[in-house]
Amino acid sequence: MPDRPRQGARRAFRGWRARRPFWGGLLLALGGGEILLTEKASLKVVMHIGMQGLAGYLLPTLMLLLGLLILFNPGQRLFYSITGVLLSLGTWLTSNLGGFLLGLLLGVTGSCLAFGWLPDQEPRVSRRKRRRQARAARAAAPEGAGTTA
Amino acid sequence: MASSPDVSSTGNTPGNPGSGSPSEAPSSAGAGGERRGRVRARRAAVMAVPATLVAAGLAVLTAQGALGVQFAVSGMPFTVTATELRGTGFEQFGALDNMAEGSPNAGDTGGQVLVVTSAIKHATLDKLCQSVDLGGTNLLITAGSGADKVTATDLTTDSTELSGNAAFDNIEIGNDASTLTKAGVKGPIGVFSQQADTVRIGNLRQTNYATTAGVFKLPGLKLRFSDSGC
Repeated sequence: MPDRPRQGARRAFRGWRARRPFWGGLLLALGGGEILLTEKASLKVVMHIGMQGLAGYLLPTLMLLLGLLILFNPGQRLFYSITGVLLSLGTWLTSNLGGFLLGLLLGVTGSCLAFGWLPDQEPRVSRRKRRRQARAARAAAPEGAGTTA
Repeated sequence: MASSPDVSSTGNTPGNPGSGSPSEAPSSAGAGGERRGRVRARRAAVMAVPATLVAAGLAVLTAQGALGVQFAVSGMPFTVTATELRGTGFEQFGALDNMAEGSPNAGDTGGQVLVVTSAIKHATLDKLCQSVDLGGTNLLITAGSGADKVTATDLTTDSTELSGNAAFDNIEIGNDASTLTKAGVKGPIGVFSQQADTVRIGNLRQTNYATTAGVFKLPGLKLRFSDSGC
């Protein structure tokens, strides 16, 4: 699958995606967008409620922004993701139970993915393959097993 | 991703599976040169575990009625029922709701719905049930079925249908909607309206297009998906 020749644009996108917590930022932004979609109260009513009503819009908007910032400025992802998870949890109180739970879950998942992301990692190896390779390595070179285990 | 890495490059990974250490072994030559950013499970769990605990805590506190939540819904029709609503400071007037531009719910209405706006300063609802039709399935929110009642302040609803057995105290009927005083919301000028000091509606059933509430306290909250609405 990964060795199939790719067109330029897709390859470039893949490289771009590999250098940032793509799913984390995307899920956080989607969560913010979902919450904004569930509440489209007219501005007059929001003004009537005051600051509390405004917070209902402020938090999901910030979630959306933070998700985009994680995508386009991944260097600051720790700050963005910590702020993002706090905002996501806050929307439970301010914005329709976090967009009826869905947006809150998306936001928290996205923030956690962004927080746990590290650049420049080893390629993923399945556990079974790893075990098999470890066994093969032990069998082939017993003196090398000391460093592995 | 795993493009058949050779044994020498990955021989050291069983030693630290999933550990967050970014220290890299000499593997730059192997593994097909494809090195990507990845989510380390343990690092993500550092945030995921406390976040889950806090989310569960919020849900429990809301379900106990200790924590108030805000609601602002509009643009999609949803049904609210309650066996009894008691309120102080009641206003009601007609209005025209505009949907968002190009909303799929607009149909042949041109994006406008004629609604009755009800505003209640302080409301207490018994056995509240709220359902939103999501196409095929219903999102159902029930609360206040135990001893504690649902309370709401600054509750404003835009309804297309409203039914129930109503009783009012000190009702004034036929005011101009722009002169309302009881609940702090003013309607458009020249529109029929009514207001009352207290209101009591039994077997309330509303089809709403918009609801906002400053603070909603929902003891006994249950959020679930269901085939049938309220």
